[in-house]
Amino acid sequence: MLPQRLFQSRPFLTLAVVFVVWLILPLFVKRALRVSFFELQAPVDLTASYVRDLQDYWALRTRSTNDLIAAGRDLARLNASYEMTLQQNATLRREVERLEALLQLPAFAEYRSEVARVARRDFNGWWQHMTLRKGRNYGIVEGAPVIFTGGVVGRVQKVGLYTCEVEMISSPGFRLAAVIEGDARPISYQGSENPSLGPAKGIAEYVPLDILATPTAPKRMVTSGLGGVFPAGLLIGDLVRLEGSGDGLFKTGDVRLDPRLSEISEATILVPVKPAGY
Amino acid sequence: MRRSLTLFVTLFLLWVLTGQINHLLSAWRVSIFLGGLYIVFAALRLRRNEGLFTVFAAGLMFDAHAPMWFGCHALLFATAHIVVFRFRTRIPRDDSLFIIVVALLANLGIYLGISFTAFHDLPSSANIWPRLLTDLVVSQVVLALVAPWFLALQARAMEIAGVDLRLEQPGMR
Repeated sequence: MLPQRLFQSRPFLTLAVVFVVWLILPLFVKRALRVSFFELQAPVDLTASYVRDLQDYWALRTRSTNDLIAAGRDLARLNASYEMTLQQNATLRREVERLEALLQLPAFAEYRSEVARVARRDFNGWWQHMTLRKGRNYGIVEGAPVIFTGGVVGRVQKVGLYTCEVEMISSPGFRLAAVIEGDARPISYQGSENPSLGPAKGIAEYVPLDILATPTAPKRMVTSGLGGVFPAGLLIGDLVRLEGSGDGLFKTGDVRLDPRLSEISEATILVPVKPAGY
Repeated sequence: MRRSLTLFVTLFLLWVLTGQINHLLSAWRVSIFLGGLYIVFAALRLRRNEGLFTVFAAGLMFDAHAPMWFGCHALLFATAHIVVFRFRTRIPRDDSLFIIVVALLANLGIYLGISFTAFHDLPSSANIWPRLLTDLVVSQVVLALVAPWFLALQARAMEIAGVDLRLEQPGMR
């Protein structure tokens, strides 16, 4: 009887052996396996992404000349507007440098912008990730902030040779120090649920009691610059609802994120070029 | 080894297709997970260690991208594989309907396993379950639809690789 039972439980014994072997496997072996599988999959993501770009290219080729002329005209207007902003930025930068030198302040952290196409988006209920088409070959580093026209996208979590993985701001594990625009007191932002067929949301915590926000009169939440990862002033989302937290000392509320995050196809990675002087 | 490699290639193909579908579905914030399909063929048709090796490697494919401890998917896949393998003598291996039901149950088990592992330490995890349930329902529907095709693809791949599955014993080897 005993040998028969042992024979029947052999699969589970095998499973137990697999568990034990995996637990005691040296960390460098696991790391090598992780990197190997990551790099094995990277060419697939890249190829699929380039094929999609090619599809878009041929789809655009079918557009009429009138459409192209209209698009060119709109772009020219945008360029003129950006040209003005660039000039203003240069003036402001010179002013900041002058004040830094005058007051002997430490310099702000500087970033190099790397624009990268999105190779793959993976937005499930457990986490929201996307793979960008730039990796160590462009000097991307882990923890680098990622932004787009609508504000913060997330931060680089893993870097491969040709790709990098970005943890999105909507991911439930994502945390960030923030402030309400025009208010210097720091609050906490965390990714939250991502309802199907709707825009992603976040949660604001430790909001001071005097801050008021409603869906009709939302407050803009921006990065605080604390923590040294994200530069200050980047848009996170709109604080649309607030209620008292359990301890009565602060408020907790919902943050409405940019709906374009779900369809993002290009993002900018801010690669630190000089550590912050703080 | 040939069996494991052949099966791994089909699982890699499924991973690629699922990734592309999820990329397209991301605009609607819906996602599919077909973990049950990764283990069912190996558990029902291959020898124990060959199947275990293959599904473990398939799990590592998921782990390479997932923000969880490395090996979580692989060990969940291995567990599901062993459970199905343990009862495979009682499952009619030539009845597609039964196999799909087994794949659905395995998918449910793996999905819940990942959900509990991913969210056990998050403060707002209660709000996330409606989304997870939606994804689970969509995943189960998609799995039921694509399972016949994918199982036939795996069987055909084995034929091309020169593996005669009729010679495989249905017992617990």
